[in-house]
Amino acid sequence: MTDVPKTAVRPKVAFFDFACCEGCQLQVANLGESLLDILGAIDVVEFREVMSEKWDKDYDVAIIEGSITDSHAEERIKKIRARSKVLIAYGACAAIGGVNGMKNSFQLDEIRGYVYGKDYKFFDSTKTRPVHQVVKVDYFVNGCPVYPPELLEVLKCALRGLPYTVPDNPVCSECKLNENVCMYERGVACMGPWTKAGCNSWCVNNGNICYGCRGEVRNPAKNAAQDVIGRFNLNPETVRGKFDMYNKCKEGDNGNK
Amino acid sequence: MSAEVKSVNNHILPHGELDGFIRKLSKKMKVVAPVAKEAGNFAFQEVSGASEIALKYVPTVLPPKKYFMPQREKMLDFDLTGAQPSDKAVIDAPELAVFGAHTCDLAGIQCLNMVFSERPRDYNYLLRKEKIFLIGMECNDYCDENASCALVNSHMPSGGYDLFFTDLGDRFMVHVNTQKAEEIVEEMGLAKASPADLAALDKVRERKRSVFRNEIGVDPRKLPEAFAKGEKSKVWEDLGARCVSCGNCTNVCPTCYCFDMADNVDLNMKTGSRNRTWDSCQFETFASVAGGENFREARSERQRHRYYRKFKYPLDKFYRFFCTGCGRCTRTCMARINLKETLKGLAKETV
Repeated sequence: MTDVPKTAVRPKVAFFDFACCEGCQLQVANLGESLLDILGAIDVVEFREVMSEKWDKDYDVAIIEGSITDSHAEERIKKIRARSKVLIAYGACAAIGGVNGMKNSFQLDEIRGYVYGKDYKFFDSTKTRPVHQVVKVDYFVNGCPVYPPELLEVLKCALRGLPYTVPDNPVCSECKLNENVCMYERGVACMGPWTKAGCNSWCVNNGNICYGCRGEVRNPAKNAAQDVIGRFNLNPETVRGKFDMYNKCKEGDNGNK
Repeated sequence: MSAEVKSVNNHILPHGELDGFIRKLSKKMKVVAPVAKEAGNFAFQEVSGASEIALKYVPTVLPPKKYFMPQREKMLDFDLTGAQPSDKAVIDAPELAVFGAHTCDLAGIQCLNMVFSERPRDYNYLLRKEKIFLIGMECNDYCDENASCALVNSHMPSGGYDLFFTDLGDRFMVHVNTQKAEEIVEEMGLAKASPADLAALDKVRERKRSVFRNEIGVDPRKLPEAFAKGEKSKVWEDLGARCVSCGNCTNVCPTCYCFDMADNVDLNMKTGSRNRTWDSCQFETFASVAGGENFREARSERQRHRYYRKFKYPLDKFYRFFCTGCGRCTRTCMARINLKETLKGLAKETV
């Protein structure tokens, strides 16, 4: 932090939240020492969770948490996009729809009635969409929550104007480097073989399965899924259910992402 | 073989003294050995006594290559602060003893030694290798049905170690292969092997000759022809239809050495490091280049490439198979792609 040139103009960065638990923003507050380095490199002008100031000019970087689930949110994200040079979809809800996408498994009116009761029509609600299905996104930070080292990498790329490529290999590729015992060999279905790497198999390293929070790889092995399910004698419905927990909004991508 | 057995470099370590041996060794350097993990898996990790070690084990999740070329490795630090950018090569090569490497894994290290000794030499690998004291452990029986070590003749020891242990029932025969090993054996005060010990070793080896048999029923001398004719074989289509492209098979392979290199800049945008990580030819991005071309876009092409990198290309270049028969790729495959079955299928179609 000390050797950051004093004359450098630090980019104006703002955090915004939509439908989410705000846990990914909390990850920023939890960064510890590297947070000081980040604050040396950027100028945070708006961040509802940690400060009360607002900013009325343009943003160099807008960091968006949460998915778009009603028409008010759609208008708001479009306005933010218009004021931002760079927009980062931050966390599973923003990047792939995340758990909010489970709403898309139901008829909209049915789910609205379940949540809001008989007067549900007074409450606006649309299908859940990740940010890139509404406005252009420049960078993706996947994960529920985001993996702090990857957040740093994306920020460094954004500050240098370089693209960041989300790894498009299955989580297994990192899990094996960490020499974890495969969850399937322990008799548990894990979403690793279909989920994008980049988290350093964070969950499996800590004894949990991969829940698929980083989204499905672009070109998943459709036939192979049957082999895997067959080899380990699993129930396909259970696997599909686990997959839908985070990945339901993929249906809205038409294979473009 | 008999020349080796009769050599003067054989010593004896009673089973009961293995613990003392490991303890003494771990006072000199870090000792790693196979340790039992969950669900019948094993992994090389640090030990301080014999009770932690799995003397009989199915090949570990990752082979000992992880100590010779770590999964992630820093190559250099750089600094752009001054008038001229500067960099400094980095190597982390601790003194290390690897205990209990099977002959398949010793063969894997021999393959990597050839690859990284080629010019331009890989100094990080070669310097690290100099610091590793390698202790082999003979398999008197098959680890499981996935191994194919007899096919590639790696079930018997053929060098590539400092010390080599063979279990003779109540004692280990310890073959001394290097100067460094001789010094350690002398320091430990290991007794010389007697003619009776050598006869017992002969007996173990004799028995192995009937236990370990070509696992695929195809003469390995036929394999070059099978691969020469098999580029369009339908076995590759079959593999491609099943492959998950997770890279498990290459990560666990004792002879796969491909890596990716990247520069990582610190937040100050002035300093940073160059790092390499294991890469895999099974990843869709592996053979894609600028402009969007991908030379091995289909999973079938990538799987075929993997097999040719084990049974054809290294044969042309290094005169040996780069498969050591350890069976790891078969054990780890999410989609049950089986090396023995693949070779059998290819041979059936071509030779």
